Amino acid sequence: MTSVRQLVQDAGVSASAYSYGFLDETAKREIRRKTLKAIAIPGYQVPFGSREMPVSRGWGTGGMQLTLSLVGPDDVVKVIDQGDDAGVNAANIRRLVERTTGLSTTLETAMASIIQSRHRIPEEALRSDQILVLQVPVPEPLRNVERRVSAARVMHAERDYSKMWLALYEDIVRRGEVSFGAGYPVMVHGRYIMAPSPIPRWDIPLLNQSDALYLFGAGREKRIYAVPPHTSVEPLQFDDYPFAVEDFDGKSCARCGANDTFLEESISEVGMPRFRCSDTAHCDKVLESREVGT
Amino acid sequence: MTGPILSVSDLSVIHGNECPDCRTSTGPEVGTNTCASCGAVVACTDVSFDVYPGQVLGIVGESGSGKSTVLQCIYQDLAPTRGDALFAEFEQGDRSIWQANRRQRRELRTYSMGMVYQNPRQGLNLLVTAGGNIAERLLAADWRRVEDIRDTASHFLNRTEVPINRMDDFPAFFSGGMQQRVQIAKALANNPTLMLLDEPTTGLDVSVQAGVLDLLREIQSSKGMTVIVVSHDLAVIRLLADRTLVMRHGQVVESGLTDQILEDPQHSYTQLLVNSAA
Repeated sequence: MTSVRQLVQDAGVSASAYSYGFLDETAKREIRRKTLKAIAIPGYQVPFGSREMPVSRGWGTGGMQLTLSLVGPDDVVKVIDQGDDAGVNAANIRRLVERTTGLSTTLETAMASIIQSRHRIPEEALRSDQILVLQVPVPEPLRNVERRVSAARVMHAERDYSKMWLALYEDIVRRGEVSFGAGYPVMVHGRYIMAPSPIPRWDIPLLNQSDALYLFGAGREKRIYAVPPHTSVEPLQFDDYPFAVEDFDGKSCARCGANDTFLEESISEVGMPRFRCSDTAHCDKVLESREVGT
Repeated sequence: MTGPILSVSDLSVIHGNECPDCRTSTGPEVGTNTCASCGAVVACTDVSFDVYPGQVLGIVGESGSGKSTVLQCIYQDLAPTRGDALFAEFEQGDRSIWQANRRQRRELRTYSMGMVYQNPRQGLNLLVTAGGNIAERLLAADWRRVEDIRDTASHFLNRTEVPINRMDDFPAFFSGGMQQRVQIAKALANNPTLMLLDEPTTGLDVSVQAGVLDLLREIQSSKGMTVIVVSHDLAVIRLLADRTLVMRHGQVVESGLTDQILEDPQHSYTQLLVNSAA
């Protein structure tokens, strides 16, 4: 079977025909400019000219464009998909970065300078020299409470979030709790309500006053936004219904034994529930240190 | 003697391209509110009045007389073409509320005014529970304790005689009278200084009307609230209003104490109105 690569080569195009990092220079410059604006206004969604990428929109093109516009000769890139380095999408994005920049990639959180992620923040604390790029499906936190984009923008501009609070109130009245699982809405720097991308509640506290820079890219929706280092990020909560992370009390990872990580439930061969670390790199690291220790 | 809480002067609302003839070619003398020269619809022209604290002002007139337009301008649902409204709670009445920016307008609506529309669908969000509708106003005023919000919501629902056990039901499933009472409870939350009632009992059957009117009168007198009530129904005006404006074709034809207007109408239109009601 002929590979796509073969076809491309037959057509007389080589990988070197592409710019460094796939995107052309003007595109990179525009995305960097919009990124700077996003960092300057924490939590504000900056529109950008989302480019065609070699995957469909909705498959992480926002995150890819951020990563590829940021990446330089000294960078080491790590890509994770729901905590897993081996996900198909993660592996493909990693390979695209390698091919179009000639850089090496890593699986280790501590080694990476740019980490692109979908639906998770690594368990390991990030440093000030690291950037976490999150892929975002729906950047508008008010999407479910206000269908008109124009009206939602006015609500953001005026910091008029009573509809969002009303949705939380109604949730509590009907279900006894706020039922957001992934993508719990947060207030950034006391100004903008932001969709943190579908990360679990577990990861929300990691956004607050972090040492690292968080960038959010929504390729399909053409928005970039950011949480700069040391910025306050507070989950929306009522005084008498405080925000709480997922409860894994009494459970631990079946592989590495960790009981302080975000766990994913699966069914074992004998039909029993089994938990494993969602962050595979962290799981490997814990396992390794345990083997060295014994 | 304290000054007026709301002082409206020369309020005009013109839909369409305005021309110099608009003022003279419309009004009760001409018998239309469509300008013959330019075709603009003159909803109201040069409406001026004062409301004093604790007073109930009635605005009466037939359909299309511009009475609801006046109310919508005060609640800022509609931007007037020209005119000023000085409100004691907005910059000490130094600047017209129609010059307020959007944020200030929202604050006025959240903290200082309450509106009851003729149709509860306009004032209520039917996809949100009855309690949630009241909560919306409290949340806009930065309330952040569910328990307090629910206590206050049930207090106002209780006050407007909506059964508390229906608090977490959707108003879409309520009767018209009950929806109207929820709307009144919503308008009352945050204890507004100025209550605006736009045909609050129209469309309700007579016995329910009487209940709602009793309720409004009782709340008004116990809180000493300032109220502007718009109605085409003289009985409502007679029951609620201290002073009354009579409007026709966008202009005020007569104003004065309610008793005086109803017992001794001066303008021929008011006479017609009073006689047809009797």
